[in-house]
Amino acid sequence: MMEEVVWERLRDANIPVLPMKQASTATEAVDAAKELGYPVAMKILSPDISHKSDVGGVVLGLASDGDVETAFHAMMERVKSQVPDAGIEGVVIQKMAEPGLEVIVGAKRDPQFGHVIMFGLGGIFVEICRDVSFRVTPVDREMARQMILEIKGSPILKGARGRTAVDMEVIIDVITGLSRMLEKYPGIVELDINPLVMYPGGAFAVDARILED
Amino acid sequence: MTLRSIFEPDSIAVVGASASPGKWGNSILKNLLNDGFEGEVYPVNPRENEIMGRTCYPSVLDIPGPVDLAVIAVPSSLVFSVTEECGKKGITGIIMITAGFSETGNEGQQLEKQLIEIVERYGMRLIGPNSLGVVNSAIRMNASIISRLPNPGSISFITQSGTLGLALADWTMEMGLGLHIVVSTGNKANIDDVDLLEYLDEDLHTKVIAMYVEGINRGKEFMNVAKRISKPILTVKSGRTERGSKAVFSHTGSLAGSDEVYSAAFKQAGIIRVENIDDLFDSALALSVQPAPRGKRVGIVSNGGGASIIASDACERMGLDIPDLQPDSRKTIKDLVSGFASARNPVDTAGLASYDVYNGIVRQMLLDPNIDAMIVIYVHTVMWDASVPARAIVDIHRSTCSKPVIACWMGGAGTEKGEDILKKGGLPNYPVPERAVKALASLVKHHGFLKNIKERI
Repeated sequence: MMEEVVWERLRDANIPVLPMKQASTATEAVDAAKELGYPVAMKILSPDISHKSDVGGVVLGLASDGDVETAFHAMMERVKSQVPDAGIEGVVIQKMAEPGLEVIVGAKRDPQFGHVIMFGLGGIFVEICRDVSFRVTPVDREMARQMILEIKGSPILKGARGRTAVDMEVIIDVITGLSRMLEKYPGIVELDINPLVMYPGGAFAVDARILED
Repeated sequence: MTLRSIFEPDSIAVVGASASPGKWGNSILKNLLNDGFEGEVYPVNPRENEIMGRTCYPSVLDIPGPVDLAVIAVPSSLVFSVTEECGKKGITGIIMITAGFSETGNEGQQLEKQLIEIVERYGMRLIGPNSLGVVNSAIRMNASIISRLPNPGSISFITQSGTLGLALADWTMEMGLGLHIVVSTGNKANIDDVDLLEYLDEDLHTKVIAMYVEGINRGKEFMNVAKRISKPILTVKSGRTERGSKAVFSHTGSLAGSDEVYSAAFKQAGIIRVENIDDLFDSALALSVQPAPRGKRVGIVSNGGGASIIASDACERMGLDIPDLQPDSRKTIKDLVSGFASARNPVDTAGLASYDVYNGIVRQMLLDPNIDAMIVIYVHTVMWDASVPARAIVDIHRSTCSKPVIACWMGGAGTEKGEDILKKGGLPNYPVPERAVKALASLVKHHGFLKNIKERI
């Protein structure tokens, strides 16, 4: 599913997403970047490309109008040479996410039990330690709270070793919002919000993907 | 429709009954007759006049009286016609032993569909196909290939694997465990786990439901039924090591293997998932004779320090607490034992295993508001009679108690009399502390489910 549709779905489910704007020319891209505020990221916008970074379709940390303009032209050239057949609609300018605690919220459709939601801490916690918890949908607030507390790394969320505690209610909102979204779209096969970056009092979905049949 | 014609029939036809040992139709008929089924049994086979001293009928349609249940073990080519005849006869329950259906692939799947069409047309219910039978020990019905009727009891066992499940049923007899219903579900083409849970929930004999599961068909319905059932449901689910999908669309896809999903579903439905078959029956035993504790604070007493340390470690691993006793408990215990003993939890009697010591300590610990459940360990030595401490705790348990007591009589030879007293007194007993603790952990888990899941409905 196209990234833009994914963001739309998340916004509908009241899941906070990183501020972003579409642009089809270099001038539009610069205007978008100025509106969002630097630094920004630029991502290729094409229905034919799912692994954007594999084809040079992602540039991070653009800090000025000049950066954005140069990056736009360079990206167009790069992507066209890598995947000449892809239809390109332009780029998405995304505000750069400030560093925060990264978590992952995902979903999968199981043939026996229907949609299942997964929660875990991002990065190495999910990839190497597989420290995640699962619930079959529908997931209510209490169940969401339990699945957050169930992972081994949950003390980190509560602010272990001098970290700031994250607002657990925000994650609960995301999980329950996702649960409602899955009920509305039974065709969703897999979904990742990875990472959801946690800030004091809030969060942004920074990257997300959905597979639907 | 109720499943009573399958689990509580008054009369049974064995279709495909055989006089030749080694055939299913021979074993099942023999089991029904030898184990003393209380109702009528009719062998059916057009090529025989008499089997095991009973008149053999060419077809169920020739049987003079009414028939509730047909156990069918004919070659697969005859399945449709004999099932049709069962429908015409007014039989409402079928156990289909015959295999060669969906378990063999696409062609078998088609045959299974046709079979179920016949079954549904006549409003019958069917266990299987590819089942190895059903047991109801209360009416001495062994309509299965289990070689002997299990001891009567309050644990009912649903097994998806025929041979493994039935071997287990046999093994429970060695353990001295009682079973009520044993059902080998086979392909679950008509009656599945959802139907069976509903039946066993209403069944008055069943107190604990144990399941060996390879896969569940109607996941959501299964969860909903299990949530409503307050009887403990224990499950061993095989295929644990199966990994998530290889395709890497998402992290979630690769991490959410079917096993993780089953674990989540069981937990949400209040089903206790145990690691292996020993745990399944160990836990089933404890749940069938002991009340659920109000919390997870465990008191341990032993006549040897080593065993109580092992038990404490196991408690910690299983998430159970070993709290301090109240000062008056410590004082009472101190007065009962010598200076070398520890009056702190875990209590160590420093070798003493007299009636008064075990009775007095366990009584005091059960009265202590800091304690929710007890593990009582006795390590056998030639100095003591293993039956004395057994009697001591059975006596208290009889006179008091709403808190569970789990026994662990260690030492093998010499402890038999004590073990027997414990068993007759309704105290689950295990030969090693880890098994006792795991069984207790299942009791604690069940209490948590009752509080957090079942009562929320």
